[in-house]
Amino acid sequence: MSTALATRIAEEYAAASDKLPARVVSAARRELAVKTLCAQGLPATRDENWKYANLRALERVRFAPQSVQPAEAAPATPVSGAALPAPIEGYVRQTFVDGVFASELSSAARNDAEEGSPARERGQSGDARFALLNDAFANDAARLRIAASSDRPSCVEVLFVARTEGARAASYPRLDVKVSAGARLNLIERHVSVASDANFVNAAVEIDVASGARVTHFRVQQLGARATWIDTLNATVGQNASYQQHLVHLGALSARSTFHVRLAGSRSAARLHALAAADAHQTHDACALIEHAAPHTVSEQVFRGIAAGRARVAFNGKVTVCAGAPGTDSRQSLRGLLAGPEAEIDVRPQLEIHTDDVRCSHGATAGKLDESVLFYLLSRGLDPDTAQQLLKWAFLADVVAKIDIPDLKRSIERALAGRIDVAADLKELL
Amino acid sequence: MSALLKIDNLKVAVGEKPVLNGVTLEVRVGEVHAIMGPNGSGKSTLAHVLAGRPGYTLTAGSVTFEGHDLLSRAPEERARAGVFLGFQYPVEIPGVNNVYLLKAAFNAVRKHRGLPEVDAFEFLGLVREKMKFMRMDESFLGRAVNEGFSGGEKKRNEILQMLILEPKLAILDETDSGLDIDALKIVAQGINSLRAPERSILLVTHYQRMLDYIVPDFVHVLVNGRIAKSGDRTLALDLERRGYEWVSEEAA
Repeated sequence: MSTALATRIAEEYAAASDKLPARVVSAARRELAVKTLCAQGLPATRDENWKYANLRALERVRFAPQSVQPAEAAPATPVSGAALPAPIEGYVRQTFVDGVFASELSSAARNDAEEGSPARERGQSGDARFALLNDAFANDAARLRIAASSDRPSCVEVLFVARTEGARAASYPRLDVKVSAGARLNLIERHVSVASDANFVNAAVEIDVASGARVTHFRVQQLGARATWIDTLNATVGQNASYQQHLVHLGALSARSTFHVRLAGSRSAARLHALAAADAHQTHDACALIEHAAPHTVSEQVFRGIAAGRARVAFNGKVTVCAGAPGTDSRQSLRGLLAGPEAEIDVRPQLEIHTDDVRCSHGATAGKLDESVLFYLLSRGLDPDTAQQLLKWAFLADVVAKIDIPDLKRSIERALAGRIDVAADLKELL
Repeated sequence: MSALLKIDNLKVAVGEKPVLNGVTLEVRVGEVHAIMGPNGSGKSTLAHVLAGRPGYTLTAGSVTFEGHDLLSRAPEERARAGVFLGFQYPVEIPGVNNVYLLKAAFNAVRKHRGLPEVDAFEFLGLVREKMKFMRMDESFLGRAVNEGFSGGEKKRNEILQMLILEPKLAILDETDSGLDIDALKIVAQGINSLRAPERSILLVTHYQRMLDYIVPDFVHVLVNGRIAKSGDRTLALDLERRGYEWVSEEAA
């Protein structure tokens, strides 16, 4: 990181610090974050795990969030409910605008839970530098505390709305989830833009899944065309517990997800099903690490990415099996599809095993549509456009099919159909 | 009877390598022709060139279909005009539903013929009837195209597509390969059911055993990219008895 950037972060923090709420992040923790950041620097594209990310927006962003700036510096545009995605049946919604809870746009009250201690100290958990930036500037947090209760899982949607242009103020969505032993949570986390399509969003998510609990987490990034999105997610999964994430990258000019799940309890499981559909000059980059730290743990990573136009799509999927994790069962299936002569795909499976008695399989492919499959469709009378759309759709189909919330799935299908130019009746394609 | 397909001195290369060295063949409406020949003689190339597969260079000759140039037309145009290729190795297409492809293909052909699209209900009725005929389980309807199908199931699926599309010219590329005798009978029965005065069939095969079930009007032997010998079905029986070598020697 350039010294200039570090200096600017420190200065902006110093100017805003007395307005940044301690109930969100304690002052001590904020200061530590700034100090660590200044020492370590933010990632740059010369770092191995960041070479596909587009971090240019950092040069222009104003780091302090809108709510702590003088009103005249970044006047806020009111957000109307009509501009937001339709609610999902059966889910209560908490809406955060530029990172701050908006009760008038929510169907559920906020949770006033105390700041949770992070599952792991930043720095112990892979690459958490952007999470440190969130620690420093976060002005609110969505805190979910899910207790084991009835037979039904809790169903919550947290909608993060980015409103302000990044050059005026950054947005720091912060999501902190603790799911008690035996509890179940279905969580939808969506990120959308209103007013400006050039937001700078830096999200930090902490998820703690206690023993026997089950979490299914749907994450949909649909920011505006010039937005930058960076997020850091850390999850810890206890004994016999499971964490499953469906990650969908559709929007933003540049989106980067850093994902680290630690299987801490025996017989725990983690699954990541990710899809990205990038076009024009978009970059969708994800770096996922699943760490098997206990015996008989199960993990799965499935990625399907399409890059059209001059887009870049990257997925770096790593699985680490620690010495104390015999009986690990891990599967990776990473596939990228090049749908434009100037597009770029990079999928990289990595496996690091420190014990015996493991079952690990991985497959990674990146390429264009298979000519022999295209010819087969043409030989049946389909026109080339339809044939290509059909094959692109089919390429994503198995990941989309696993999104088992009908309203959400339909909204993702509609957005995807627009992205890959599918004009045909989608129901028939499935 | 008029010529449906007229191949005249067709020469085709793959890269720099000549594969077809002057094939001349006329298939009239209603006829069944078998193209036989040793491995590497150019049989499959001929089938694919007729269907419009990219990757071949035409170096000489011409092909007309119903009196019009065929080779300048795109693969999908040929299919809509009534040319059907049954693949030796049908591809698997995960994520694309079998019945969706059937319907899309069916409606593409109908649209070309100026007929209205058929609605889903009516179409399913048609597919069910043809599947029964091909002794395919209805579960194939909901599955992805050829995904996880056995070799025999894939070939049956090809014939099912052909029965639904009702082409004018069916080119069947080694449809018999990899089939056990029961599957071969079902596939042959499917092909025979399409035999009609207004339809022609080109069977590409290495072995004569399929011709026990589908009796051709003509048999041609392709050697080194040229038709070395033509005859009636007794030629196929000779080939089975004597192998291909004597034809090559006679031709040379």
